[in-house]
Amino acid sequence: MNNQQQAPILEVDQLNVRYGSFQAVKDVSFSVHSGEIFGLLGPNGAGKTSTLSSIEGLLKPLSGNITVAGFNTQEKPLHAHANMGVQLQATSFQPELTIAEIIRLFAGIYGVDLNNETVKEKLVEINLLDAAGKKFGELSGGQQQRVSLVISTIHDPQLVLLDEPTSGLDPQSRRQLWERIEGIRGKGNAVLLTTHSMEEAEAVCDRIAIIDHGRIIAINTPQALIDLHRNDPEVLSVVRKGKVTLEDVFIGLTGRAVRS
Amino acid sequence: METRIPKTTAVMSALLRADFTTLWRNRRSVRLVLLVPLVILISWKGLVDKLGGVFVLSSCITIGLTSIGLMGYSSAIARDRDKGVFQRLRVGPVSSWTIMISRLSAQIAMIVLMTILIFIVGFYVDKISITPIGYVAGLLMAMVGGAVYLSLGQAIVGRVKNPETVNSTTRLVYFVFIMVGMFGELEMLGNEIGQVVAWSPYGVVRKIQAGSLAPGAWKLETTYALLLSLGYTLVFAVLGIKWFKWDSK
Repeated sequence: MNNQQQAPILEVDQLNVRYGSFQAVKDVSFSVHSGEIFGLLGPNGAGKTSTLSSIEGLLKPLSGNITVAGFNTQEKPLHAHANMGVQLQATSFQPELTIAEIIRLFAGIYGVDLNNETVKEKLVEINLLDAAGKKFGELSGGQQQRVSLVISTIHDPQLVLLDEPTSGLDPQSRRQLWERIEGIRGKGNAVLLTTHSMEEAEAVCDRIAIIDHGRIIAINTPQALIDLHRNDPEVLSVVRKGKVTLEDVFIGLTGRAVRS
Repeated sequence: METRIPKTTAVMSALLRADFTTLWRNRRSVRLVLLVPLVILISWKGLVDKLGGVFVLSSCITIGLTSIGLMGYSSAIARDRDKGVFQRLRVGPVSSWTIMISRLSAQIAMIVLMTILIFIVGFYVDKISITPIGYVAGLLMAMVGGAVYLSLGQAIVGRVKNPETVNSTTRLVYFVFIMVGMFGELEMLGNEIGQVVAWSPYGVVRKIQAGSLAPGAWKLETTYALLLSLGYTLVFAVLGIKWFKWDSK
């Protein structure tokens, strides 16, 4: 059966988020299916993180429904959380704890029984066995992202939410992380990620949604978006080197103005 | 697919292990928090005959409780909130109250440790000896008194978002409580200030502490102080919970 025909792992329906008088997210709807990597793209302040925070339960939406693995995030937050793994944009852990202790803490929180051997296995999996006794703050950016990802997936969740996971990483670390993200998809789980990188969206995402001023303005596979918009005057006006790329489509649809 | 929610006991155990490890790794700041009441206890050795052993012990325990609630608890909460530690925990299948109960448990352990240390130093250095019931009641009442300052710390960390401002605010409140509280109770600041201090969070906690250390001397005034302590705790806790935001942004 095609994944798209199955019940979605994540369903966002008519989501609205407001901060005071500013409406950050307007009637956003989309769904993510198992075995799919779905990218949420948008300029700064477009509403990506607000959408993600609403799914994670960190933000109370003004209206709309979010279901994760069939559980409404407002009505059954613990059930929804148990089915999702989250990597926040700026992850931090208690600075006094070692990496092994952090892994054990989150294993306990997600109800996963880890003994010393299985903690070691997790560390070997991310090439950080030597760092078991180090503090999170002592790791490089790439190592921190690997730890965050292993914690996000420690309970093998059906949905993994990644907020700008490769931001600030060198090309090697970024490639390695992409492979890990693809590994999650390979297991049949779904991934929702936000990114500013069009290269990343094209490289790993099966479908993407472009969000701007709180609204989804396009949603499709990266190639289909290029094909659909390659002749748009706004897109043609920003094309460089003759070939239409996803970045051209993105800038064509969201405008050239720099966002704060 | 069936969704398995982790047992609260398993989650609590993981959180407690992490919070107590954090407390242990912060031994230096723990020592600093304990230092002030112990220094006062030792330096007041010559005043025990004049002020009475129960007054000295209850004053030192009250000062220790103020340190734990205002400096230890609120600073740790402000720092972790600012770093996003709570947000990372809250995206897991864990209720907010579980996170807070674990944090408070670590502080209760601190209160027990501080009170026992004061009893031991008081006994060996200041030669203060009270009845076994007094020790047990004093330990239990330290938790009631601790609740006043933990909830006050919660109210401050709820109202103030910036961790640096939380630090400076709690230090200021701590300084005022200690200086005005101690001098006021010793009637060095006049009768009116003395009366205000007597029914302030400092005064009522000191009173119930003294009442518990010498249960035979428990008076109606001590009962009023106990009721007022519970009242202060309730008001500060309600404000602290109402104002508190998990995110400092």
